[in-house]
Amino acid sequence: MNAMAAQRWTFWGGIITALTLVWAILWAFPLYWGVISSLKPDDEVIRPYIELWPETPTLENYISAVTTTQIGTWYVNSVAVAIGVTVITIFISMLCGYAISQLRFPGRIALWWLILASFMVPTSALIINHFVLVANLGLLNSWAGIMLPQLIHPVIIIVYKQFFDQVPKDFREAAVMDNASEFGILFKIYVPMNWGVTTALSIVCFIWTWNAFLWPFLSVTRTEMMTITVGITQVNDAFGVYYARQLSAAVLAGLPVALAYLFFQRRVTEAITLSAGIKG
Amino acid sequence: MLRNSRTERLVALVLVAPFLAIYLLAFVYPTVQMFRISFTDAPLIGAGQWVGLDNYLRLDNDPMFRRAVWNTAYFVLMTVIPGTLIALLIALGVSRLKGRFQATVLALFFLPYILPVSVVYLIWDWTLNFQFGIAMHVLDWLGIPRVPVFKSRAWFLPAVAGVTIWWTAGFSILLFLAGLRSIPVEIYEAAALDNSTRWTTFRRITWPLLWPITSLVLTIQLILQLKIFDQVYLFSIGGRPNDNMVLVYYVFQKAFQQNQGGRAAAVAVTLFVLVVVVSVLQFQLLRLAERRRR
Amino acid sequence: MNFRRIMAIAVVAAGGFWAVAAQAEETVMWWDFLGGGDGVRMKQMIADFNTAHAGKIKIDATTLEWGTPFYAKVQTSVAVGEAPDVMTYHASRIPLAVSQDILEEITPDDMSKMGLSASDFAQTTMGAVTVDGKQYAVPLDTHPIVLYYNRVLLKKAGVLGDDGRPMGMKNKEEFTATLQKLKDAGVEFPLGSVTADGNFMYRTIYSLVCQQGGELLTGNEFLAGDNGKKLANALAVLQGWTKAGLQSTYTDYPATVALFTSGKAAMMINGVWEVPTMTDLAKQGKLFDWGAVEIPVIFDKPCTYADSHSFAIPKNKGKEISPEKRAAVLEVISWMDKHSLFWATAGHIPAYKPVTETAEYKAMQPNATYSPLTANMIFDPKSPKAGVAGPIFDIMSNYFVPTLNGEMDPGEAVKSIKEELNSM
Repeated sequence: MNAMAAQRWTFWGGIITALTLVWAILWAFPLYWGVISSLKPDDEVIRPYIELWPETPTLENYISAVTTTQIGTWYVNSVAVAIGVTVITIFISMLCGYAISQLRFPGRIALWWLILASFMVPTSALIINHFVLVANLGLLNSWAGIMLPQLIHPVIIIVYKQFFDQVPKDFREAAVMDNASEFGILFKIYVPMNWGVTTALSIVCFIWTWNAFLWPFLSVTRTEMMTITVGITQVNDAFGVYYARQLSAAVLAGLPVALAYLFFQRRVTEAITLSAGIKG
Repeated sequence: MLRNSRTERLVALVLVAPFLAIYLLAFVYPTVQMFRISFTDAPLIGAGQWVGLDNYLRLDNDPMFRRAVWNTAYFVLMTVIPGTLIALLIALGVSRLKGRFQATVLALFFLPYILPVSVVYLIWDWTLNFQFGIAMHVLDWLGIPRVPVFKSRAWFLPAVAGVTIWWTAGFSILLFLAGLRSIPVEIYEAAALDNSTRWTTFRRITWPLLWPITSLVLTIQLILQLKIFDQVYLFSIGGRPNDNMVLVYYVFQKAFQQNQGGRAAAVAVTLFVLVVVVSVLQFQLLRLAERRRR
Repeated sequence: MNFRRIMAIAVVAAGGFWAVAAQAEETVMWWDFLGGGDGVRMKQMIADFNTAHAGKIKIDATTLEWGTPFYAKVQTSVAVGEAPDVMTYHASRIPLAVSQDILEEITPDDMSKMGLSASDFAQTTMGAVTVDGKQYAVPLDTHPIVLYYNRVLLKKAGVLGDDGRPMGMKNKEEFTATLQKLKDAGVEFPLGSVTADGNFMYRTIYSLVCQQGGELLTGNEFLAGDNGKKLANALAVLQGWTKAGLQSTYTDYPATVALFTSGKAAMMINGVWEVPTMTDLAKQGKLFDWGAVEIPVIFDKPCTYADSHSFAIPKNKGKEISPEKRAAVLEVISWMDKHSLFWATAGHIPAYKPVTETAEYKAMQPNATYSPLTANMIFDPKSPKAGVAGPIFDIMSNYFVPTLNGEMDPGEAVKSIKEELNSM
């Protein structure tokens, strides 16, 4: 925190640092334990004592998860849906945020309040009518059907508006003088000036969609259309001791996002804080 | 500056239209429909007869609905405030660290947040498994009787609340860290000169300055946790779903398992109104608390 | 390069391919809920079917989670016309399905097209898939519950008879003594029971009620007369084992199987569908010497709960099945029944009598050991409230978990069950 304080309270400071560290290790331990268990053969998994490292590490659970389930297809579905939702949501929110921030038009204030208000509305209360809607459109068991109800993220518009508000007016006025169109101004000035925001919001939107459970779970019945989040819980081969096989599927499902986070740690943390409307 | 207001309106319309179209289709229309069918005896798919307030009156006498409301409230109570406090504590601990060390420790706390709920479920179901879970071996070693965490009524919701805090704390921690970073160092230096204790410094400086973030975290958590479904559904597999009933689960059960769209919609409307009322109330309360602070 | 031309060729080629495929091959969408060892067998049968019908019929199979999730999905997908062309269905649930109007009738004409006749099946099985004189499904098997046991552990505890079967199968006292001896010999769980999931215990408990001559549904009344007492007796026995530490508590389905296959539980009451799990593990050299027999007689007479997997055709709303597709579906059902000798390796007792009459089936183990129990089987009451994941199942299961784990008194549980069932 600060140098003087740290000097005065070294002893207690050390204790607190140590506690934080121990706590962090305990916190992450279940993750470690899940991964380690997935590398154990059946008989080792259920040994009645604690073994922090597999005696005979094996990949057979992973091989089984890959060969007996459609995990590859689920990956493709998850990636397609997450990218689709991200691209569409970011695009429409960017346009809408820009209009609210920079243009004067009737109903602007009403629209802004509507967006602010829908922040607190629970979309999971709408599952029945989402289901009816998507069924009537004939989109159950399709990527479009999984995506449609997930396209509403008012918070993304809110963040865009705030950032567009902060772009100095001079840029805009100069562009208008040059007879640039509104689209030109948006895509040549406002968007490039806020690339960081777009990246951050895309990351967050991708994570949200990748992790969504309830809606994909309701709208998909065919194994080959499931996203990975749903697939790994819906299909189980309760065959003998099945824990390690389930855990290996879990690791495969969590790994891409976890790795992405570890590689782009700073970007992701920035993105998350931003999504709450805080400028980091 | 000169503006051509007609062109501007047209452009605005074009820019707003895509969002508005999707918003109307995937949000406004389903919401209106939800209210409408809650007054009918419709099945999940298909039309029904108008039954007035029947579906709502029925809820008054429905023990399962009461249990769902109670469990949801209980769950919110166990997650929102404790979760926020734990996240604050962790953030305070992490904020003292520096550089790579800080990044590593933060990563350990943050990782669960980016995992899908089903992965969280599989990991904890295994860790706390009554027969084979490592937590039970630890209890054995400590000489404490094993606890059937996800299979008993008394332990289920507290345990799911704990897992939920573990899963979602990362988000709140990041917000708190951002808040802590924005407090100027000079204020702390001044406090140090005054020989104020660690606790006084926290109470007089950190906590008040952090209040906007705290209230934000509380609001986000509250709205999120009222909608609890995924974890309860998953951890109830092969167990006792009816004992662990929560509101969204009840909507799901009525609509998708019992094919009673109208009655399910009545539950959904109740939840909808509840969330809106609670968030408005909380918003007002937090504002009041803030004003008093000033 | 002429991009447009290449595209045109590609489109024509793709279209042509599609047209040929559509003409020649009928794809049958198939759903089942077979997730255990028997699921592995079913996948094999589907693969065999597809090979045998290459170019003509192809089964596109999806396995969903057993029980409530499966039947909820069926119900909603029928309503929106997204249901499969054929699905496995529990016979116990047929009356409920018919009351919901989600199944197509199987006409006598269909039966003759499949080359099957009612006389190919046991009367009780056929009766289970018939409502008001109309047939709604084709039975594939009968699947009772049995007692699995670990010969090594039983022998060590001195409770393995000379015939290689567990001792003390005649009455409650003897069987409890057997469990106790296993406990004394250091076995952690003498009996592995799915005590965390009422859906599975329903079968054991219903068997024990039947062993006292009790029934669930008398006319329109649930647990009439002393049937409530009989249910309480059944629950009391199981709770007694829990309290004496003879049975695994709060154990879910996978954990129960894992306890048994890892040698932590010496015996296990479970469906015959776990037979393939055991045979496959044994084949890989990962299992002890094991056996499966009819469940013990705890009360007055032998009786075992059974249900039947059958094939049904969902009545998709607003999506009539084409005659070609229906013919393909009938071929699927017929083929599966006629090749159900392989299904018997999944532990099940084939419903199609010409299969069970073969010498090959009669010699099959462990089926032959437990097949005498077919004389003592009881099915669910025939009611739209019965069946897997049906209302009766649901209500009773709610009270079984607390009772079996000693949280609730059996008498109290029965009182609540009776109230709830009769107020449905």
